[in-house]
Amino acid sequence: MTRTSNFGIYIHIPFCVRKCRYCDFLSFRCEDDGILRGYTEALLKEMELKSKDLRYRYADSVYIGGGTPSILSAWDMGKILETLRESFNITDDAEITIEANPATLTDEKLERYLRKGANRLSIGVQSFDNRLLELLGRIHNKNDALYTFQKAKKAGFENINLDLMFGIPGQTMKMWKDTVRECVFLRPAHISLYSLQIEEGTEFYEMYRDGRLEEVSDSLDREMYHVALRVMCGAGYRHYEISNCALAGFAGRHNMRYWSYEDYIGLGPGASSFIGGRRFENLKVMTEYLDALKEDVSPVDTENIKSYSRREEMGIFVFTGLRKAEGISLEEFRDIFGEDFFSVYDQRVLKKYKGLLILADGRLYLSEKGMDVSNRIMTEFV
Amino acid sequence: MKDYQKYIRNFSIIAHIDHGKSTLADRIIEKTGLVSKREMREQFLDNMELERERGITIKLQTTRLVFNSKDGNEYIFNLIDTPGHVDFTYEVSRSLAACEGAVLVVDATQGVEAQTLANVYLAMDEDLEIMPVLNKIDLASARPEEVKEEIEEVIGIDAQDAPFVSAKEGIGVEELLEEIVKKIPAPSGDEEGKLKALIFDSYYDNYRGVVIYTRIFDGRVKKGDTILLMNTGKAYEVTEVGVYCPGPSERKELKAGEVGYICAGIKQVSDARVGDTITEKEDPADEALPGYKRVQPMVYCGIYPAEGEKYENVKDALEKLQVNDAAFHFEPETSTALGFGFRCGFLGLLHMEIIVERLEREFDLAVVTTSPSVIYKVVLTDGTVKMVQNPSNLPDPVKIDHIEEPMVKADIMVPKDYVGNIMEICQDRRGKLLNMEYITENRVNLHYDMPLNEVIYDFFDALKSKTRGYGSLDYEFSRYEPSKLVKLDILLNKELVDAFSMIVHESKAYARGRFVCAKLKEIIPMHQFEVPIQACIGQKVIARETVRAYRKDVIAKCYGGDISRKKKLLEKQKEGKKRMRQFGTVEVPQEAFTAVLKYDENK
Repeated sequence: MTRTSNFGIYIHIPFCVRKCRYCDFLSFRCEDDGILRGYTEALLKEMELKSKDLRYRYADSVYIGGGTPSILSAWDMGKILETLRESFNITDDAEITIEANPATLTDEKLERYLRKGANRLSIGVQSFDNRLLELLGRIHNKNDALYTFQKAKKAGFENINLDLMFGIPGQTMKMWKDTVRECVFLRPAHISLYSLQIEEGTEFYEMYRDGRLEEVSDSLDREMYHVALRVMCGAGYRHYEISNCALAGFAGRHNMRYWSYEDYIGLGPGASSFIGGRRFENLKVMTEYLDALKEDVSPVDTENIKSYSRREEMGIFVFTGLRKAEGISLEEFRDIFGEDFFSVYDQRVLKKYKGLLILADGRLYLSEKGMDVSNRIMTEFV
Repeated sequence: MKDYQKYIRNFSIIAHIDHGKSTLADRIIEKTGLVSKREMREQFLDNMELERERGITIKLQTTRLVFNSKDGNEYIFNLIDTPGHVDFTYEVSRSLAACEGAVLVVDATQGVEAQTLANVYLAMDEDLEIMPVLNKIDLASARPEEVKEEIEEVIGIDAQDAPFVSAKEGIGVEELLEEIVKKIPAPSGDEEGKLKALIFDSYYDNYRGVVIYTRIFDGRVKKGDTILLMNTGKAYEVTEVGVYCPGPSERKELKAGEVGYICAGIKQVSDARVGDTITEKEDPADEALPGYKRVQPMVYCGIYPAEGEKYENVKDALEKLQVNDAAFHFEPETSTALGFGFRCGFLGLLHMEIIVERLEREFDLAVVTTSPSVIYKVVLTDGTVKMVQNPSNLPDPVKIDHIEEPMVKADIMVPKDYVGNIMEICQDRRGKLLNMEYITENRVNLHYDMPLNEVIYDFFDALKSKTRGYGSLDYEFSRYEPSKLVKLDILLNKELVDAFSMIVHESKAYARGRFVCAKLKEIIPMHQFEVPIQACIGQKVIARETVRAYRKDVIAKCYGGDISRKKKLLEKQKEGKKRMRQFGTVEVPQEAFTAVLKYDENK
C-alpha cells in the first residue's frame, strides 16, 4: 500500500519550561539537565532499534516537535541529529525541522542545529500582542519573538515557520490583523495559523468553565481565519493546507506527508507511526517508555495496535487528504485501494456540499469556505 | 345453580389510576397463597415492563385463585384485571361483562374521580354487584368516612359496609376476601346447554397462536371441539383449554360459569376480537352475547422507520403488535418527507404513546411519528363526503364546502381550587362548559363539550400540570360538528415537510404555527446555511423563525501524525448525525416530531 519508498521521522520532546494554559499535548514541566539527558539517551536507543527495519529505505523529512525541543541543551540536540544520520538513511535534501520557543533559543543552539544538519525552524510566536501572550501562558514576549526570528535568519536559517494563533479569548479583530501584518512583514518562508480550541483538561478549560474566559464566537473565529488568508495570499503566500501558508517552494514536506497517506515513524512516548501499511503507537506513559528502552526493548505499545479495515483506511486517506488545498486525487485513490472513489462513496455528497466540496480535474478538494466546516464534510467519509 | 358454581366468584377490580388497584390485586394473590411473597414481583398482574414503569395497567391479566374461607369451603376466585385508562373503555366493559361483581377501589385520601365514575357506570351497565373498598387507609390524610359519603352521594350505592384496607400494608385484605365470598354472586348458566362464551381478552403466543381469555356462560368446551366465533364467522379446532393460576395450566374442559383460556391455532388477535362470542360449530347458540362492537380508532398518526431503520422490520413489529391488540390498526402510506411508512389508528393518545414506546423498547426499533390527527368529515362542494385522517389528504380548499370535526363530551373532575385553571385550559382549547356540579364541598365535576382534536394534543398533560395531578379526565365521542378548520403546513428551507402538517382551528393556527416554528428552531441544529422555518396556511406565511448558519466546524489541530484521535472525533460527530432525518438539505433530529406536540408549560 505504500507508494513512496521514502518516509518521515517525527521525534517528540515532551518537555516545557511551563505548560501553556491551552495545551493538552503530552508534555512535562522540566528543566532538569539530568532528566533531559536521560530522555535523550532513550531517544538515541529508540532510533537504533527502529532503524533496524528501515535499513533499505530513505527518510526525506524529520520533524522534532514538542513540547519544546529547544529546551534541550545544544549538546543533546546535537547528539540527536548526529544519531539520526548514523541510524537512518537521510536523504541529502531532507527537510529537518526543529520546533523552538523564542525564549529558549540561544545563538549557541542555533549554530549547533545548523552544523548538525537541521535546515528548518518552526517558532511558536502565537501572537505579537504581549497581553495575549501572557494570557496564553507563554514564556516569551513580542520582542523575544522578533529578536529570535532575526537571530535565526542571521545564523543562516532560510526556511522558518512562524506559528500564529487566533480565536484567543479577548482577541479582537484588530489585534489579530496587527499580528498577521507584523508576521507577513517579517516574511518568513512559512506561516501556520491555528484556531485556539479550549480542550478539556487544560487550565483554559477550567477558566472557561468558571466563566473567567469567554470563547470567541464562531463567526469572529472564521472571519479571522479568512482575513489572515487574504492578507497572506496578497503578500505572495500560498494557502496549501488548511492551517498552513508558504512562499513558493516552502510547503512543509513533513506536514504534507501526514495528509498524503505517506509513511512516517514516531519516536518518543505516545508517538504514532504509519509505515508499511501498519499503524502503531509508542507507550504513552513516560516511565514505561523509558523502562522499555532501558532494557533494549522497543517501546511500541503492542497491546494497543490499531488495525483499521480497508474501508476505514479509505476514510483516513480522504479526511487527511482534504486538509490539503489540492485535496485528493481520485486516480490515486483507485491506485491505492483498487476501487473507484464513487463506487465507495455516494456521489450525492457533491450536491449536498455544493460550493464547499469541489470535484475538478480528477481531484476532490475543499473550497476555502468548505474548510470552515471541514469536520462536517469529513464525517461523510469516515 | 350447579353445585360447582357455588364456589366460583368471578370479579374485577375497578379503580382510578393510582388508587392502588394493582397493589390490591397483588395482595389478594399473595393472601390466597398462589405466589409466595418471595416470588412476588411488585404488581404481579402488570406484567409488561412499560406498565410497571408508568404505573398503569394496559393489558389485562386474569388469574384463578383458591381461597379457603372461614365458612370451611374452598372457593375459586377468577380475578379479572382491567386496564385503567380512558382509552380502553371498551376492553374494560368486556372484562366486566365476564364478571358477576366488581370490587371498586377508592383511594381514601382522594375520593371519587372522573374515571372511577366512568368505570362504575360501565359496571352498572353490566348489572354487576359493586363492592366498594376504601384503600390507603394507613395514610394520615385518609378520610374514609367522608369518602364513603361521597361514594353514596355520587355513585348512589351503599358504602356503609365498605371494608377499609391498605393494599400496601396488607391491612384488611383477609376481610375483603370474605366479603367477596358473601357479596358477589356465584355464576349461573347451563353446562349442558349450547356453548356460549365471551372473549374478554386475547394475546398472541409464539408457540400456541392466539390465546383467548374467555368466560363460559353456557355449555362446555374441550380440546378437539370445533368452535365458531359468531361475529367474525370463523371456525377453529380447539387445541388446548386451561386456566391461569397464574401460569397456564391445561384442563380437560371449561364449563358454564368458569373462566379460562382457549387455544385454537388462531393466527391473529383481530380474528379473536374482544367481545365476540364463542360457540360450537356443529351446534351453535341461537344468538351471540350482547355488547360486541368493533372498536374504532379515534386518533391517527403516521409511523415511519427512522433513518437507517428497515421498513420491513417496522412492518413485522406492527403486525406482531396488532396480533395482540385488536384496537390497533395500520396500513401502508407514503410521505414525501419520510418515505414509506404506516398510517396507524389508535383508541387515544395514550394508546398511541404505548404502541410507539413498545416499538422502541420491545422491538428495538427507531421510528418517527407524525402529528396525531382525528378523523375529519370533509364535505365537498359537489356534496360528497370524505373522511380524512391524514392532513396531507385534505382536498384542495376550493373543492371543500365545509369540514366537520369530532366533538367529545369531556368530564373533568377536580378539587374546587383548580376550577379556574381548568376553565382556562379548556377555553384555550375551544371547550364549551356545559355545566358544573359540586360532588362534595370540595370536588367539582365539570362537563365540557370539546373538539377531540384539542384533547389529543396536549390536553391531558396540561390538565395534570395545572391541577398538580389531581385532575382526572374521561371523555366520549358525541358528534361531528362543522368547524372553521385549516391545514397548517411547515416549510423547512422553503420545502414542505408533510410529516409536520396538521389540521387546526382557524383561531388556533397562528399560535400553533408560532409554537411549532419556535420549537423547531430550538431543536434543529445549525447548518452550513441559514434554515428558514415557516408555518403556512396555503401560500400565506403566518410564522417564521430562522436557524442561523453554522459558521465553524473545524478542528484543524492534528499533531504528530496522531490520526486515530481525529478519526474518533469525526466518528463521534457522525454518530450524532445518524439520529437525524434528512429533508432535502435540512437535517432534523428525530425528537422534533414528538417535541412539537408536547405540552409547554410556558407557552
